[in-house]
Amino acid sequence: MPLLNVNNINFGYDQRDVLKDISFQVNRGEIFFLLGPNGCGKTTLLDCVLGLLKPRKGYIQVNGTDINNIRPEAIARQVAYVPQSHEKTFPYTVKDIVQMGRAAYIGLFGSPSSEDMDIVDEALAQVGILHIRDRRYTQLSGGEGQLVMIARALAQKTPLIVMDEPTAHLDFKHELVIMETIVELVRETGLSILMATHFPNHAFYFENCDIATRVALMNNSKFMAAGSPSDILSEENLKIIYDINARVVSYTIDMEREIKQVIPISAK
Amino acid sequence: MKKTRNLIYVLLVVGPLAFIFITLFIGRYPVSIPVVAKILWCKFTFSSCNLPEIYQTIVWDIRMPRAILGAMVGGSLAVSGAAFQGLFRNPLVSSGILGVTSGAGFGAALAIILFHATGPIYIFAFLFGGLAVLLSFIIARVYNTTPTIMLVLGGTIVSSVFAALISFAKYVADPTNELPSIVFWLMGSLASARYQDIMIAGIPMLVGIIGIMAVRWRINVLSMGDKEAHTLGINTKVNKGIVIVCATLATAGAVCVSGIIGWVGLVIPHIGRMLVGNDNRVLIPTSLSLGACFLILVDNLGRIITGSEIPLGILTALVGGPFFVYLLKSTKGGGW
Repeated sequence: MPLLNVNNINFGYDQRDVLKDISFQVNRGEIFFLLGPNGCGKTTLLDCVLGLLKPRKGYIQVNGTDINNIRPEAIARQVAYVPQSHEKTFPYTVKDIVQMGRAAYIGLFGSPSSEDMDIVDEALAQVGILHIRDRRYTQLSGGEGQLVMIARALAQKTPLIVMDEPTAHLDFKHELVIMETIVELVRETGLSILMATHFPNHAFYFENCDIATRVALMNNSKFMAAGSPSDILSEENLKIIYDINARVVSYTIDMEREIKQVIPISAK
Repeated sequence: MKKTRNLIYVLLVVGPLAFIFITLFIGRYPVSIPVVAKILWCKFTFSSCNLPEIYQTIVWDIRMPRAILGAMVGGSLAVSGAAFQGLFRNPLVSSGILGVTSGAGFGAALAIILFHATGPIYIFAFLFGGLAVLLSFIIARVYNTTPTIMLVLGGTIVSSVFAALISFAKYVADPTNELPSIVFWLMGSLASARYQDIMIAGIPMLVGIIGIMAVRWRINVLSMGDKEAHTLGINTKVNKGIVIVCATLATAGAVCVSGIIGWVGLVIPHIGRMLVGNDNRVLIPTSLSLGACFLILVDNLGRIITGSEIPLGILTALVGGPFFVYLLKSTKGGGW
């Protein structure tokens, strides 16, 4: 049974359809990318999977349970979320933020216990930021801030994490740090990840690391194609959905590892 | 670190009690420590005192209820302010953001014009305070959901409508007796404090404070915004509803006995943040204690600075403003 089963969902506002007849599955230990131009419905699809929006038609199952029939805390024990950018209001400490990942396990009048704190420390250690647990998260760099968001999602102890362009605002190095962290997490814990991104090379990065990776190309509210990055991210497909000319190149490093990359050439 | 934390917690409990105790000595009529001690002893053991009636009246029936009411009002306003700042993710929000103070102000003005008696003032102030919040909520539901920004907008609209209605009430009030009563009420005072008031208005204040204290960790999660709070597993509608109802009960309970006291619900939470940080698990109890101490202190100042009492609403800002600047400077804002 796939971990996530999105079955023929439709979603829209008033007359306008934002998602049309979308079906896909994500297996355990797999990373599934949503690629597509701005406004194609990626974020809306993620919001449906998170249970924030209710599809007009079709259903979404996680671990065999329809997420539109269960309470927010039950969804939050199955699916965690890493936002694209997090609007910081009050300068909480890093551990305060990660503790919030335990909310789904804590009753209305409760607060995190010492077991919850252990889980928090474990999550911080997993992404390598245990040493900044008492820092104010408003004073962190963008990369560290995004690692805090990933740690918070890990503290939720879910089999699936949904990420919406998690590297959107990061510099060259920190983008790589986040990618490496995610690769390690998927390898070590068998997590599944559903990620929206603007960079086809992200999908290649995971495939190059031998992680089970699939990509769906979205355009005009629909899936145009879905499959492995090597099959789907072809020069023709990139031409169709982004209207650009690109080359897919392959390069061998250290005599053994072959890495694939998309190189954009021109927009006409 | 842990030791200073514990010391802070002890101070938070002892502080308001100490302020209440000190209040028993402050005023025109001097009362000595043994006399106060004796009166407290007799009252708590239900025995009779061999002291002049005047001492008992001053210490037990005038100063004591006033101090207790001050502590409750200050605590209520500060706790609701802290809760709303977290809920609305906005440090500039105060306990009156959803219109409860303006609504209560109009209720009181209306009662003064219609009845000229204190009993209806409490009831009207409380009910109109609640009504104002309800209206803000209904306005925010225009889009069928209650996004935070719409609630703030609804609160602003309702506040200005009630502010206009207060002006109208002042305009039509009899300038010889009704108008001064309205004006004094709006400036805030604890002068009328009796145990009876504490019993009645104390119920909504206590219910509100206890409710917010119970869900205070959830306010942390709610301050992440609706979308994230929901994905973290929180039923945002229910949780926001609880916080709003509790904060409204506390604020309306406070305002209906004390009149409009600004500043406490805005600034005390910030002073708390500088001292103990942003985690609402610690911040809410800290605000409760600081609010209680601050209002007793200001009320005492108001009673002794000049021959006649200075209204509370004036002094809270006059005393609190410079104190806030001082704290901002000395803690460098504590990263806040």
